[in-house]
Amino acid sequence: MAPAPDSSKPFDIVATYNELLRSDPDLTMPIAAIEALVLLLTHSPSSTISETLDLLNKSTEHLKNSIPNPIGLSAGTDLFQRYLITTLQRPGQLGPAGDFNAIRAHLLSNGRLFIRRAKESRDKIAAFGRGFVRDGSTVLTNGGSRVVASLLQKAADEKGGPSAVRFRVIYVLSSSKNVESSPGAEPEGMETVRALREKGVPVATIPESAVAYALGKADMVIVGAEGVVENGGIVSRMGTYQIGLLAKAMSKPFYAVAESHKFVRLYPLGQYDLPIEQRVIDFKTEEEIADEAKQQPQETTTETTPKSVARNSCQSVDFTPPHLISALITDSGVLTPSAVSEELIKIWF
Amino acid sequence: MPSTSLALTPGLASFLKSLKTNQIDTSIDNLISLLKRRQIRHSRSCATATAYLLLRVISACRTTDAVKLIERVQSVGRRLVAAQPREMVVGNIVRRVLGLIRDEAEDDREADFNLSEAGSESQPQTPRVPDDASDVPSTRLDGSTARTSLTSMFSLLSHPEPEPSLPGTPSSASPSGRVPGPSKDIRAEVMEGINEIIDELGQVDDQISAYALDHIHSNEIILTHTSSTTVQKFLLKAAAKRRFTVIIAESFPNNHEATHSTVSGASANDEETLSTESFQKPLIAMGITVILIPDSAVFALMSRVNKVILGTHSVLANGGLVAAAGTRVIARAAKVHQTPVVVVSGVYKLSPVYPFDFESLIEYGDASKVIGYEDGDLVDQIDVQNPLYDYVPAELVDLYITNLGGHAPSYLYRIVSDHYRKEDIHF
Repeated sequence: MAPAPDSSKPFDIVATYNELLRSDPDLTMPIAAIEALVLLLTHSPSSTISETLDLLNKSTEHLKNSIPNPIGLSAGTDLFQRYLITTLQRPGQLGPAGDFNAIRAHLLSNGRLFIRRAKESRDKIAAFGRGFVRDGSTVLTNGGSRVVASLLQKAADEKGGPSAVRFRVIYVLSSSKNVESSPGAEPEGMETVRALREKGVPVATIPESAVAYALGKADMVIVGAEGVVENGGIVSRMGTYQIGLLAKAMSKPFYAVAESHKFVRLYPLGQYDLPIEQRVIDFKTEEEIADEAKQQPQETTTETTPKSVARNSCQSVDFTPPHLISALITDSGVLTPSAVSEELIKIWF
Repeated sequence: MPSTSLALTPGLASFLKSLKTNQIDTSIDNLISLLKRRQIRHSRSCATATAYLLLRVISACRTTDAVKLIERVQSVGRRLVAAQPREMVVGNIVRRVLGLIRDEAEDDREADFNLSEAGSESQPQTPRVPDDASDVPSTRLDGSTARTSLTSMFSLLSHPEPEPSLPGTPSSASPSGRVPGPSKDIRAEVMEGINEIIDELGQVDDQISAYALDHIHSNEIILTHTSSTTVQKFLLKAAAKRRFTVIIAESFPNNHEATHSTVSGASANDEETLSTESFQKPLIAMGITVILIPDSAVFALMSRVNKVILGTHSVLANGGLVAAAGTRVIARAAKVHQTPVVVVSGVYKLSPVYPFDFESLIEYGDASKVIGYEDGDLVDQIDVQNPLYDYVPAELVDLYITNLGGHAPSYLYRIVSDHYRKEDIHF
């Protein structure tokens, strides 16, 4: 349901969200969403609880509808809403008997704190995950996940220290399609590759097509995730699923690294059950291509919605089912995939 | 030098005996050397020895301060674990005792806290974190259980005051920061708790065997391995009501002697493991058909087996287990034949350790058991290894039966978080 255009409000949640993501490359989607909602509350002087919740609902819906892949951000918005509701329901100072303004003030004044905590949780994960990177091991990873990067860098930092880890990294770089869309840009993850090489970690970069070939040399696979779904599977950059399948086939451990604020209340039954529209498999005949070519010029002139542009350039994602995942390394410890549902149940019921 | 004064062969019995008379430090050294020399082995013996030793340590510790108590237990625990890192039960028992102390200290503090809260703590405007006192169930949950399990996802948004991103510190630091006052001696309660652990160690097999009838049905063919008392009691319990066949793989180099020294058989061994011989007798006496097979025949017979029941050395947090060598072969064969694999294990064997490195968990034993020194020429030229344990990954196991009931391997993390506190995992 598309809400009424936000003309009445000067505050544009979508723009804020995008701006937040752009301004801080370290920010994850759920945290940016939470931040955007906090800012929204700052801008709208709602006084009653139901008014606030209604506003949040509407804006969340709007935000979700305007972002091509809202899985990651919905984790943040859901968490925010649940936090508000449970806090209000609980007896105590912040509860119904207490002052609604108190919780509002808390949320508004601690926006930076949430971001800091979210970043700290990355360090925490790195600390948990360091144990996985053993001396002499070779780690295969993909994508541009910041958590994975910080985990590997943390392990590399120890070099020379008392617990020096000597490991190698096989970095799967996504294919050139990405580079084409924005010429001059290097494939995602190059930054991490450079940082690791600087630290003296031997890194090999391979294309996605070489994963099966390279996996024999790897001892484990560590991937990041955009969202962790209820059954313990992960929604992650396109290509993760196939790495998971290959790792399973070669019986290599496959670890997913994600902050616990990325847990989403979704239960996808398969690849095509994700609540987003992806044009990955696009059947076409020559005729249709010709038709499209005719329509294309008109479309671009009439409507350059940020949505359609985003959809093309945006990374598509796939779903890696839980049985392929050996363990999830999160800031609340190393979890088995089935532990995710419990975490989610804890905040929802 | 330790335990030489005793006529008994050094082991669990002699250790427990000496514990009463010896100085506490002598006892600690004694247990460390026993562990190092592998004179106490098997999970339960190690667990029992550790529990009794910690009981002594706590009763000898002249302090009422929980922090000092924790430090003391930690330092003893570290030395014990360092002595034999592969006996994970030692660490498990230490962690449980630490958890006990923390619980008691917290209960104490909470009572304190509820009294003083109205006066000192509550600043008028500052919103407290929601999980405050006032409602009883959630206090219990947030105070002890939830913290030990997983930090809630809400910790991201919660109020900065209690700082949930610092695990461990609140419970360990605040009792010392607070004026101890007339805090009652928690040692008595902790010792009571340790006695409960010891009781648990004694009852564990019987509790597990209570589930036997649910899992063993008439005319089934059960395959098992080694001579674990837990498995034996489990089968015996079922045998009282049902008729079934048991196939036992002899587990060659390390557990087979009992089978081969047929005559002397049932040695009066007070250690956990009974010889295979004594294992068979009562089963036969109960009217069960027992078939002893060499390990190599496991795969061949697996197609006829209805269920595999395995004992274990220790169970790890990811649902995998470390068990006698040969277990993985059996589990693997069972997987190929789609035969259910049931692992029976006391909760005390469940370790919060995550197996980052499987190889490091496997202990190597006496190579001469594989090839005797009579074959001197051969020994010179080849490298003989005798691994005592196998790591079995979680996906090869279908069900764990502990004294708490049956669990899927993926559920074990939950039991781990119920039994051990997070801050004690790496003590």
